[in-house]
Amino acid sequence: MTGPIELGPWQIGAAASLVLVNGLLSAWLRLGMEKKLLVASARSVVQLTLLGLVLEPVFAAGNALLVGGICVLMVVLAARAATNRSSRRYAGMTWGGLGALILGAGVTAVVGTGFIVQVEPWWEPRYLIPMLGMILGNGLTGISLGLDRCLQQLDEHRDRVDLALAYGATAWEAARPVVAESLRAGMIPILNSMSVVGLVTIPGMMTGQILGGTPPLQAATYQMLILFLITAATGLGALLAILFAWRAVFDGAGRLRPERIEEV
Amino acid sequence: MSAGLRATGLRRVVGGRTLFEDLDLHLPPGTTLVVRGASGAGKTQLLRALAGLDPLDGGALSLDGATPESMGWTDWRRRLRLVAQDPPVFSGTPAELWERIRGFAALAGAVDDPRPLASSLGLDDGALNRPWSALSGGERQRTSLAFALGSRPDVLLLDEPTSALDEEAIRAAERLLRGRTCVWVTHDPAQAERVADATLWLGETP
Repeated sequence: MTGPIELGPWQIGAAASLVLVNGLLSAWLRLGMEKKLLVASARSVVQLTLLGLVLEPVFAAGNALLVGGICVLMVVLAARAATNRSSRRYAGMTWGGLGALILGAGVTAVVGTGFIVQVEPWWEPRYLIPMLGMILGNGLTGISLGLDRCLQQLDEHRDRVDLALAYGATAWEAARPVVAESLRAGMIPILNSMSVVGLVTIPGMMTGQILGGTPPLQAATYQMLILFLITAATGLGALLAILFAWRAVFDGAGRLRPERIEEV
Repeated sequence: MSAGLRATGLRRVVGGRTLFEDLDLHLPPGTTLVVRGASGAGKTQLLRALAGLDPLDGGALSLDGATPESMGWTDWRRRLRLVAQDPPVFSGTPAELWERIRGFAALAGAVDDPRPLASSLGLDDGALNRPWSALSGGERQRTSLAFALGSRPDVLLLDEPTSALDEEAIRAAERLLRGRTCVWVTHDPAQAERVADATLWLGETP
């Protein structure tokens, strides 16, 4: 067997009927999650079908502008998702998230396809789009966790930052412990998943490749590559997002301005 | 050019409320200006604004004739030292915090050992190596005074720095601070009497 067994509507229907069990459980336990389950399942079907429908002609067309447009859309949606999850905001936060994702995830994905895998051309959609998707999906979690921790610390522990400033610390010296702690918070999920990968979990991409007929060792090699890219992108993206936030909530005189942090 | 700390026409508005305006003060070197006023009159806000931690809504500051803008705000904050009434609680020990403070570029390591200062305020030797969370309010205040003095500021901005101390420690603190340039907020009339070279009332003067 070389290719995957083709799935038809009845297989998807059968799998979806398993979710019905969750719905029944929810109704029995009065969790009130039936509607959410239904909406989430329907969204998954619609979104993934659309993705499949869009990607097929994009892969076939091999048009750089089209690929670029899709990548921009993916990054913009990821930036919105990354910044919307935070419990605190500052003015221009979505732009900060966008910059962090472009420089963190975008650059990493291009390095991955162009320099490491050496795909010809580097924007070959069959490689760039899934890689970018994997990197964005994980990177945005790191960015949102890091941002959230950073704004929370600056908001709740203003007195600690002010004490450092009052001793003549620069804005950077005063915020450095917060930046470090926030970056650690942003990196925890990817570090955790790296430590259990292959032991407890078989990641989605590797599963997909194995089901698609790729030899497991080859699939594992791809998974390693993608994990390293995700880790690099998460670290760089989270650091940039935190630094943009730091710049935004300190003023030109190096003072922390907590009124620029808004709780949502 | 005038020596000491000078402020002219200071104005600070917080949440639509004017805390002070047209406020002038001059603090010659080696003198103490006591700031008094009812709670909420803006005493802490005045100290924070003088320290360069909050923006002013009007007015100008200078220290020995130089403005914060001309020397840079970081240098301004290095030369003035705010001592908060309730020092923040950090993770770790005061000794670890002191190591971090010593490392700030603006201080350039030009600091005095805070341990003798702490001990002259009645703090035992081990206190600086205990976690902040294990220190009492009074121990934190003494630590924070010792650190402030050890960092060699030109002007001390003291926000009820002895409010959690016993009488003996209060007198020790007052002795240590005598002859230094201080803006000193206190609610204690007797302490004001002892330390003031001049007094500034914020809000209604009784």
